[in-house]
Amino acid sequence: MTALALLFTLSAIGISETVYLIKKRITAEKPVCPIGENCALVLTSHWSKIFIVPNDILGLLFYIVVSFIAGFLVIGVEPMLFWSFIFKLAVAFGTLLSLFFTYLQWRIIRAWCFWCLMSAFTIWLMASIILISNFI
Amino acid sequence: MYDSMRKTSYHILRVGLAITFLWIGILILKNPEAWSGYLQPWAAELLPIPINQAMMGTAILDIIIGAFLLVDFLPWLAALVGVIHLVMVLAVSGITDITVRDIGLLTATLALIIDSLPSSLTQRITFLRK
Repeated sequence: MTALALLFTLSAIGISETVYLIKKRITAEKPVCPIGENCALVLTSHWSKIFIVPNDILGLLFYIVVSFIAGFLVIGVEPMLFWSFIFKLAVAFGTLLSLFFTYLQWRIIRAWCFWCLMSAFTIWLMASIILISNFI
Repeated sequence: MYDSMRKTSYHILRVGLAITFLWIGILILKNPEAWSGYLQPWAAELLPIPINQAMMGTAILDIIIGAFLLVDFLPWLAALVGVIHLVMVLAVSGITDITVRDIGLLTATLALIIDSLPSSLTQRITFLRK
C-alpha cells in the first residue's frame, strides 16, 4: 500500500510536469529552465518526437496509464495480477526509454533539459520503489 | 493575479493538494463503509440516499477536484469546490483527532483560490469595493 501511494504520487507529479510542457509547447512559450539554459534546445530538437507523436504527449499517456493502474491496484479491481504485470512492464519500458533520452541529451544533443531529467528521475524512482517493494 | 501562476510555490501547493484529493478519493472508493464511519449520526440521518452511495459520490468529487488541480484547469473553481467540500466535511464529521489535518487542507485550498483567481474576477471584486 505504501509503495502504491508513492507510485501514485510520482505518476501524478509526472502528469503535472507533462501537462505543463504540453501547454508551453501549444502556446509557443519557453518553459522555466532552472538548471542550465538549454531546455528549449532539447525540447525543439528533432528527438522531441517519436513517430510524429511529441514526447510530452507520450509521457502524459504513460503517467495517466500508470496512475490509473496504481488506483486499480489500491481499489482492488480484478484481475490484479494482470494490472500488476502491466504496471511493471510499463515502468520497465519507461525506464529504458528515459535512459535512452538521457543518453541523447548527454551525447547527441549535448544539452540538458530540466523537465526531461525530472521526468527521467521520476520514472527511475518508480522503478526503484517497485524493485525495493518486491524485496521487502 | 495570473502573475502568481508563475510562482513555484503556487505550483507546489496546487500539485500537492491535487495528489491529496486524488488519493483520498481512491481510498474512499476502496472502502466507502470505513470512511462513512467519520460521519456524525445526525448527518447520516439527513442523507436522502444510502450512505455508501453518498461516500462514492464524495470520492468521485474528490477525484474530479484533484484532476482539475493537477492539470491546472480552472484551478480557482476546483479549489472553491474543494473549500466548500472541506467545510462540509468539517461540519459533518465533528471534532476528532484528524480535524486539525482538515483545517490545514482547508486553509491551503483557500490560499489556492486567492492565488489563482482570474484577473477578470479580481477586477470585478476591486470595482465593487470602490
